[in-house]
Amino acid sequence: MHILVVEDETRLREQLRDRLRSSGFVVDVAADGEEGLYYGEEYPLDLAIIDIGLPKLSGIELIRLLRARDKHFPILILTARGNWQDKVDGLETGADDYLVKPFRFEELEARLNALLRRASGWSKPVLDFGPISLDTGKQSITVSGNPVELTAFEYRVLEYLMMHAGEVISKTELTDNIYEQDYDRDSNVLEVFIGRLRRKLDPDNSISPIETLRGRGYRFRLEANAG
Amino acid sequence: MYSLHSRLLLAASLVLAGFLGATGLALDKAFRVSAEAAMQERLQSHIYALLAAADEDDNGRMIPPQELPEPRFSKPDSGLYAVITNHDGKSLWHSTSLTGHDIGIAAQQSPGERSFSRLTRADMQLYALAFGVAWEDYAGAEARYTFTVAEDTTVFQSEIDSFRSTLWRWLGGMALALLLAQGIILRWGLRPLRTVTTDLQQIEKGHADRLNGHYPRELTGLTSSLNSLIEHSKAVQVRYRNSLDDLAHSLKTPLAILQSGHADNSDAADASHALVSEQVERMDEIISHQLQRAAVSGRITLAKPVPVGRIVERLVRSLDKVYREKQVTVDLELDPAATFMGDEADLTEILGNLLENAYKYCHSAVRVCVKMDEQVGSIEINIEDDGPGIAADQIDTVLQRGTRMDESMPGQGIGLSMANEIITVYGGQLVIAASPLGGTLLRVSFHD
Repeated sequence: MHILVVEDETRLREQLRDRLRSSGFVVDVAADGEEGLYYGEEYPLDLAIIDIGLPKLSGIELIRLLRARDKHFPILILTARGNWQDKVDGLETGADDYLVKPFRFEELEARLNALLRRASGWSKPVLDFGPISLDTGKQSITVSGNPVELTAFEYRVLEYLMMHAGEVISKTELTDNIYEQDYDRDSNVLEVFIGRLRRKLDPDNSISPIETLRGRGYRFRLEANAG
Repeated sequence: MYSLHSRLLLAASLVLAGFLGATGLALDKAFRVSAEAAMQERLQSHIYALLAAADEDDNGRMIPPQELPEPRFSKPDSGLYAVITNHDGKSLWHSTSLTGHDIGIAAQQSPGERSFSRLTRADMQLYALAFGVAWEDYAGAEARYTFTVAEDTTVFQSEIDSFRSTLWRWLGGMALALLLAQGIILRWGLRPLRTVTTDLQQIEKGHADRLNGHYPRELTGLTSSLNSLIEHSKAVQVRYRNSLDDLAHSLKTPLAILQSGHADNSDAADASHALVSEQVERMDEIISHQLQRAAVSGRITLAKPVPVGRIVERLVRSLDKVYREKQVTVDLELDPAATFMGDEADLTEILGNLLENAYKYCHSAVRVCVKMDEQVGSIEINIEDDGPGIAADQIDTVLQRGTRMDESMPGQGIGLSMANEIITVYGGQLVIAASPLGGTLLRVSFHD
């Protein structure tokens, strides 16, 4: 998942970048509204976190311009004062949620996940496919009710595949959503992740949730449980 | 008497009444004096006529007049009477008209002297003129007589009365005309003041931003000062809010760095992290609270009324977005006439906090009802939800500043207490009760 953070305060921006990266997101950062607009227009983003009080171009203005240019990814606004007029202005302009500074990182992450899931068309926080259940709120996985420990990157790969269940996801698409732009695409790290996921989810090879389509990519092949 | 119009009208009317009254009295007095002088003249000429009609006997002594020049002397009760007395005060002769009356004997007058007086007798009022005459006979003996002619005052009085009634009718008419003219002049002269008043009301009702009319020279100082006051207070408000924003930003960003900074999840760091986290949250609450409180502007004079319904609709749209997953059914019952006399940001803050509370705790239904009582000028906003509700013994705690009822819902507590505080600044009231929907009922009321 590709996230843009537009925040003028250097420390906070770097902190968010580092923590989001360690949670398995692909993160770009911008220090002001104009830079934010550049990233928003030039990169395929899944979500943007925008501070309202930005230099050069205010957060509200940035959201307005992005929406005017047909960018529909979810936007989370950060507001320092947290007054309702700011929140309403932001939400009416096109933001999807807000967070008042200071916030716990866990809270931010929960909001991001909810927004990303909603943007993928899932209305419930828990994705159930056969015995596999992924809780986007808690970011936890159970198989037949037993919890499975995943690393942040493994979780992101699985979440992406499950949110696009039934679709063929190319290696490039998957890599783009998990690594930074400058990552060495020829490496076989992705294959390693998929291999580990298969072993953790399906140790006795009975359900085979992820199939490999040679030369085309991967597909999450289980069907969502009704209800 | 705090109306310029009535003050001016009262003062001018008193002056007018005094002036016209004094004029009337002076004219009345002057007319009376001149009428009395004319009466005296007339009586004198009667005396001369009587003297001319008097005859003398062979010795040259006076014989009282037989042929009277004025027929009224011969007619009983005619109102004109004559008496001639000799030097020792005995009546020598009286006119036929006097028969049956007694006007008494006037004091003797020396020859050539006269005395004019007003006599009051039992049955009549008279003006009398006594005139002393010396009559010398052929032997050279001098006899002295006093001729007295009296006339009833009835005619005189009726002349005075008719003059008076004419006089006061005219003066009264003039007073009325002057009062009317004065009233019209006052209305016309004070019209610009009324224009300013209506223009100010237009601003208060939100139909205008400033005083835009053409005002007379004497008022332009006042109106342009009012305009700059209105602009100044708006500018101050904006500047104030901006500096609060800057302050919030510069205080809260470091807190945000502290709060979300620890990537370290090792057990050793947990304890100190929890402490930092807890303290950061406390600082955040204090800052939020104080900043929000400082931002409340309270009732502003000449503020535009804020339509409550529009604010509710904006907030509901925004909250629907944030709580999209919850699929909240919102039932709105908004009186379009309901307006809030105060700052839009403050109302947004109050309703934002209350509505978010409802969205957060509801199961699936929220009801908002805005009512206005235009006669008393009060508004009432009811926000209800079908959530678990707030226990009666918790209500006071919820309204306490910065109290958190439920740690798992960050931000709860301060929202309601913040809203309550702003409402109090506006002299309003927040009541927390149970809703028929099963959850909490938040009722805000403002009075004018």
